[in-house]
Amino acid sequence: MIFKLGNKFEERFIITDEIYNGFIDVFKDKNPLHTNNQFALDKGFKGQVMHGNILNGFLSYFIGECLPIKGVIIHSQEIQFKNAVYLNDELYFNAEITGIYDSVNTIEFKYNFKNKDVKIVAKGKIQIGLLI
Amino acid sequence: MTKDELLKQINTIFINTLDNEDVIVNETTTANDVEEWDSLTHIQLVVAIEKHFKIRFTSKEIQSWDNVGVMLECIQKKGI
Repeated sequence: MIFKLGNKFEERFIITDEIYNGFIDVFKDKNPLHTNNQFALDKGFKGQVMHGNILNGFLSYFIGECLPIKGVIIHSQEIQFKNAVYLNDELYFNAEITGIYDSVNTIEFKYNFKNKDVKIVAKGKIQIGLLI
Repeated sequence: MTKDELLKQINTIFINTLDNEDVIVNETTTANDVEEWDSLTHIQLVVAIEKHFKIRFTSKEIQSWDNVGVMLECIQKKGI
């Protein structure tokens, strides 16, 4: 088994204009919380809030591109959003292997995203299968 | 643990994993009898059982599970 319990992974992501606009372009979620600065300010945020599911895109990238093997498939994932994320925020992603199930070639991670202020903006768990 | 007690706990794991409160399994239940019990759910069940009882199976053991009864015997062989 290439993975060991407790293995840790780190990545850094930035929510760029390209990612933000690309998400809206593809998925058409133009809710004013995400697209109207004044609306977001009126609701108590510091500005227009990025779509939480952009972070799921980063998770997809992590599983698909950052692990030492490519034969992987996501079985399930959970995400809890804890704090708002804004355009051009730098996010620091940490993941740790919390479960290895050799009998079914399955691995579980817990992960979080932190912002520059070291505040957790999202966290959760992912279960993946190894395509062996 | 008696087989009945074990079956009760396994049934709860099935209910939670399949997200279906109506699921009732017995020793003769197979994957063909439970609509949601597909190959991915099977993996989730194995992981849930391993976590719940703090045991580990081998892939060979899992392949021998023709029905819930065989699954129970396999779990009991691990001292549960």
